[in-house]
Amino acid sequence: MVGREYDLIGNPVGAVRSTFEKAMRAGEPPFLVDGKDWGATHSIPILDRTTLPHLQPNTLVRYRGMIQDMLGNEFYVGAHKDGGTWTTNKFTDVSHLPSEALSDSRIWERRLLYCVPVPGQNIWAETYSDFVTSPCLNNTSPHGEKRQREDCADMDIQASDQDFQDSTCMKKMRENMHSSQLCPKERISEGSTSNSDMVPNFDIKSLPCVVKIYDTPESELKLNDVIEFVGLLTFDPKLAADDDTFDELSDGLCEDALIHLPPSKVPRLHCIVHQKLTSHDFLSGSLILEPKSSMVKGVRESLLGHLTSVLGNDELAAHFMLLHLLSGVHTRVGLVAVGKLSLNLTCFNKEILTVFGNRIKAAVANLVPFTMCMPLTIDHLNSVSLAPSKDYNTNRLVPGLLQLTEGTHLTVDETQLQTGTLNSVGVENIRLLKILLESQKVDYDFKYYKMEMEADTQVLILSEGKSNILPADVILPFRPQPPRVSDCVDMEALKAWRCYLATFRSLQHSIDSEMQKRVEDDLVAARQANRSLGSSDFSRLLTMGRLVSMSFGETCLSLEHWQMVKELERLRCERSNQ
Amino acid sequence: MASDSSPANNHDGPSSPDDDSMSSPIGNTFSSPGNPRRRGRRSSVATPPSRRSSRFATPEPTPTPVTRTNRRRRRSPDPVTTPIAATPSSADEAPPSSDGGEFGHPDEAPPMFVWGTNISVQDVNAAILRFLRNFRGRDDASVEGKYMMAIHHVIEIQGDSLEVDAHHVFDYDNDLYNKMVRYPLEVLAIFDIVLMDMVSRINPLFEKHIQARIFNLKTSTTMRNLNPSDIEKMVSLKGMIIRCSSIIPEIREAMFRCLVCGYFSEPIVVDRGRISEPTTCGKQECLAKNSMTLVHNRCRFADKQVVRLQETPDEIPDGGTPHTVSLLMHDKLVDAGKPGDRVEVTGIYRAMTVRIGSSQRTVKSLFKTYIDCLHLKKTDKSRMNAEDPMEVENGASTNDEDITHDYEDKAIILLYLSSQPCIFMKYSTSEILSRKPDIYERLTKSLAPNIWELDDVKKGLLCQLFGGSALTLQSGASFRGDINILLVGDPGTSKSQLLTYIHKLSPRGIYTSGRGSSAVGLTAYVAKDPESGETVLESGALVLSDKGICCIDEFDKMSENARSMLHEVMEQQTVSIAKAGIIASLNARTSVLACANPSGSRYNPRLSVIDNIHLPPTLLSRFDLIYLILDKADEQTDRRLAKHIVGLHFEDTENSEQDVIDLPTLTAYVSYARKNIHPELSDEAAEELTRGYVEMRRRGNFPGSSKKVITATPRQIESLIRLSEALARIRFSELVEKKDVVEAFRLLEVAMQQSATDHATGTIDMDLITTGVSASERMRRESLVSLTRSIIMEKMQIGGPSIRPLELLEELKKQSSGAEYHLSDLRNALSTLASEGFVVIHGDSVKRV
Repeated sequence: MVGREYDLIGNPVGAVRSTFEKAMRAGEPPFLVDGKDWGATHSIPILDRTTLPHLQPNTLVRYRGMIQDMLGNEFYVGAHKDGGTWTTNKFTDVSHLPSEALSDSRIWERRLLYCVPVPGQNIWAETYSDFVTSPCLNNTSPHGEKRQREDCADMDIQASDQDFQDSTCMKKMRENMHSSQLCPKERISEGSTSNSDMVPNFDIKSLPCVVKIYDTPESELKLNDVIEFVGLLTFDPKLAADDDTFDELSDGLCEDALIHLPPSKVPRLHCIVHQKLTSHDFLSGSLILEPKSSMVKGVRESLLGHLTSVLGNDELAAHFMLLHLLSGVHTRVGLVAVGKLSLNLTCFNKEILTVFGNRIKAAVANLVPFTMCMPLTIDHLNSVSLAPSKDYNTNRLVPGLLQLTEGTHLTVDETQLQTGTLNSVGVENIRLLKILLESQKVDYDFKYYKMEMEADTQVLILSEGKSNILPADVILPFRPQPPRVSDCVDMEALKAWRCYLATFRSLQHSIDSEMQKRVEDDLVAARQANRSLGSSDFSRLLTMGRLVSMSFGETCLSLEHWQMVKELERLRCERSNQ
Repeated sequence: MASDSSPANNHDGPSSPDDDSMSSPIGNTFSSPGNPRRRGRRSSVATPPSRRSSRFATPEPTPTPVTRTNRRRRRSPDPVTTPIAATPSSADEAPPSSDGGEFGHPDEAPPMFVWGTNISVQDVNAAILRFLRNFRGRDDASVEGKYMMAIHHVIEIQGDSLEVDAHHVFDYDNDLYNKMVRYPLEVLAIFDIVLMDMVSRINPLFEKHIQARIFNLKTSTTMRNLNPSDIEKMVSLKGMIIRCSSIIPEIREAMFRCLVCGYFSEPIVVDRGRISEPTTCGKQECLAKNSMTLVHNRCRFADKQVVRLQETPDEIPDGGTPHTVSLLMHDKLVDAGKPGDRVEVTGIYRAMTVRIGSSQRTVKSLFKTYIDCLHLKKTDKSRMNAEDPMEVENGASTNDEDITHDYEDKAIILLYLSSQPCIFMKYSTSEILSRKPDIYERLTKSLAPNIWELDDVKKGLLCQLFGGSALTLQSGASFRGDINILLVGDPGTSKSQLLTYIHKLSPRGIYTSGRGSSAVGLTAYVAKDPESGETVLESGALVLSDKGICCIDEFDKMSENARSMLHEVMEQQTVSIAKAGIIASLNARTSVLACANPSGSRYNPRLSVIDNIHLPPTLLSRFDLIYLILDKADEQTDRRLAKHIVGLHFEDTENSEQDVIDLPTLTAYVSYARKNIHPELSDEAAEELTRGYVEMRRRGNFPGSSKKVITATPRQIESLIRLSEALARIRFSELVEKKDVVEAFRLLEVAMQQSATDHATGTIDMDLITTGVSASERMRRESLVSLTRSIIMEKMQIGGPSIRPLELLEELKKQSSGAEYHLSDLRNALSTLASEGFVVIHGDSVKRV
């Protein structure tokens, strides 16, 4: 499958060099790929809906997806003696053997995972294969954001064309290439539609995949993890036909989940290597932000400026938005999820909403790889299933809207909520949202019991008054000014911002004992002054302290940043009391 | 091979020597896993000896040594069957049944081995026999072995199975146990044969076949850990039934009839899921070819059911989804469990290949796995054991069965010790834990560890969890063992969190919010069944939490009506219903844990508890402990809170969380204690109790003080007994010691000091609780009344002009310099005087009569 230049056994150095050269050709300055894999795996064709028809069975492919369900273990004839020689069935689908062969055989097991494309994945974070890899670095044309993105996709194609000419691939590779060439065009159309209404392009492009995992400890792969699998794509038309015989098996015994996943619709992938992905892996450019560098400060300032302009010059809101985008659960102590900072922007009346609602959503979608939006209407709440639930008839976990991978951003639009009656589904959904906000957990419904799954979702709530349904950590009245007509976003800046958010979200952070003392004193003093301050307020302040500090790329809370937190909080209180 | 007329051959060698199928006994979609069934059936028609070895004739779907046993057996069927069957009977010459004569005698047969092992069939046979004959319980002094009695019992009740505790097998014969677990198919078959011989010797007329049902293996695996090496082994699993298929009739014996002459064939036993249809008529005169047809209603069918078992939530690791496994149930086990039941199954793990097409000999390289179920036991919830009898009335019922039941229920407990990371141990960890001297403190610390401080409240809650012993006197009077607790406190003092935590921990905890609860919702209501139109009784929260803890949040916001229902529950522990023609009294032996906000949103320390919570004193007095959780403006506590939260956010700061017992262990500990420990008062403790109580009563009488303050009531002494019993339980002590009583007094006092302190005098005053008015307040009122009386005597004549209360008030203030009097106080005093007939009040004027 792979080209001669990737002859890793015969010419390993050559393979490494050629990928590096390719990365250089793509215009990445060498210092940017320091300590990185500059795309060796990118030469493996990606598996998605558009590439699927062009991929040959039994070839090496790459698949990125979220583990949506685990289908349990499968026992198979790992090896059997076939006329005196041992043969293996590893990395292959069901094969047919004469029943005699089973007398001399070994049984091995493998795990089945059901993976789907990551819910809420934004277009810019779509997986690119090597040929669409080159990012639009030099694109500085001042267009609107939507336009910008199309440009980006266009650039992708151009770049890939160029790549195409340069590369000396095998013929098969070229076929794949065509397919990958097709896909950005499709992306454009989808992109512009999905951008406007912010519905995640979940159904359109979704290509689920059954991944078979070999010899991997169970603890390595968890539900809702985003994983890149490299493995063999198998498709056996004979097998598809065979599936009818499952029914004959009857007795309800083998109500196998796989029956409902015909190989024609759901490809099978036999995984050889897998790797857990972080949001960093979804960035097309490979910008490295060293903590504490002056560059960080620059990026921070520009991002803050961008957010300020998106939020109609409301600088305080921009500050909180920045902290909100950096937040994430880092520890759990008992029921408390430490590190979350959900934000509730209030004072969204009809007018402000029409102007700013979509701007905010679009801006967030441009910064974070996975975003979801949820209009909170009575009808929606009464009908939608937020929590995943187990369907015992098919033995599958039916996905719910809240089955999200770590770090997904969720915008809840409460302004559309009218008076009405919630049915039991609605009440349950409200409860789920509340639990998600309070403790970052989602109850998965297993019919006979509920199972709590830990989540790490950044929740932004837009509401007219303070949301009583969804208790957010920070409640801030939104005070925008009429926006300037066009905000142009520099592509390169956008990439830097994405990288900035991805990098510093996961920064380790601590506090020294002196600062700790200081913080404690401040908290005590604040409480002495105002008895209504409770542990949740303290928690919020400390989370903010951490995030402010992280936003500067610092790993230790400094006095300056702590003062900043107090100032922010003071401004917030002032505004809330107006 | 022999002709069809030999029943033995019907089994061991199918009429047509089917050589290729022998060498590949796998390719069988329908391979009946129904061994338990088959080995167990003895029809009146068929000849039993053949049945005995039926287990061996059953095809094994997996290519394990077992299959090879088969092969070998088939090659020489006779020596196989006979030795097994006959060994037990060699000790006793009586033939096992009327057909026993067909048996050859085994003396000359060479020793038989299970294929591929050095396990001798004869040895196993003898071992099983020894076990059944000689096993005795640990303190069982009876002449006969435990299982001999059990067999007699089974025969008496015409049962068809004998439950064998694998622990007993292990204790008696370690080797036999290992063989049984590793080669269950063979060993169980031998087991059945031995059993059958025994039964037929005891009662030759006993027709049924008794099967051995093994349960309670030494080790139980989790579904997750099942792997290829477990195939064909005996495993034991816990899980929850999620689906049951309908009952499938499975053909066991087929009967054919010749269409030409009407001749009925011999019943043909299903062999490896297949019935070999006779090609020619068996009647010599007919011999028509291809004329045989199946006669359905003369075939023999057995019940079969497929059940899906899912992991219980506690076994699922982080970020995993539950695994499921299929179970095959036969006969008696069909419908033994319903979806939603938590069960523990013992069975044989098996894998079966999937054949492509019904006639092809090729199979898929995939296996379907299932568990051939041998034994199913319903287990209770993972929570605290709900069936714990708090009553001791039955005394020590040291039934053997009870004991076995006991240790089954003990889950493996994970114990965190400060030094070792974690140790897995069987239930004895509860006892080991209890031997730690600081167990009380440790449990306190482990209770809701994320809620900070409130140690005394937690101690009280701990007592509630463990509970005292309920007592029923011969006269019928009963004393509850449940401890009721009320938490009153400022908003934001984590009362609700405590409540949810207890709710999680408690057996059958029901969590309701006062605002949303109605009286019927709490107790029981009568509803009309929509289909039958009959009235049915539906249980409410309190009845549902029988033997559990009913957590009621926002107790103060509950309607008056609903609260009044609690009176009966909290003391009598029953709910009486008399409506719509249904008169019933339901048990509601529940502890109530309620929490309330003060009537103003914050606690007003100048008012009494009654005024603060607005609860009727009658109800209030039914709470054993009333805690006030107040948010005190205290820098020290603020600092600790700040430290706590800073520590939460920055990992490197000191975190004292590791010394905490986790929730499952705590649950196990509590349920073990509730079930097994029934402490009684020691003489010393009783003495201390009396002394302390007298002391408490006396505290109300200050020498030289005329007022009498009641500091304790008989209800308090009951509470004290319950608390000290609970404290003894925490230590796993059967005896309530003096220190328990002392601690109980302390707990009560801590709770009382906060709730029943008369703010004017600083002493505990039970009158505050019982009447809502403290003694000093009463004194004040009395003095006001006498003062008013004297003023009226002075100022007014009988029948004279009326006077306005305001004027009176001014006069009062003049006379008693210093004391503050309100108009309302005066009105109270006046109404007292009016009731005495001293004055008459007309609207806003007072007239002396």
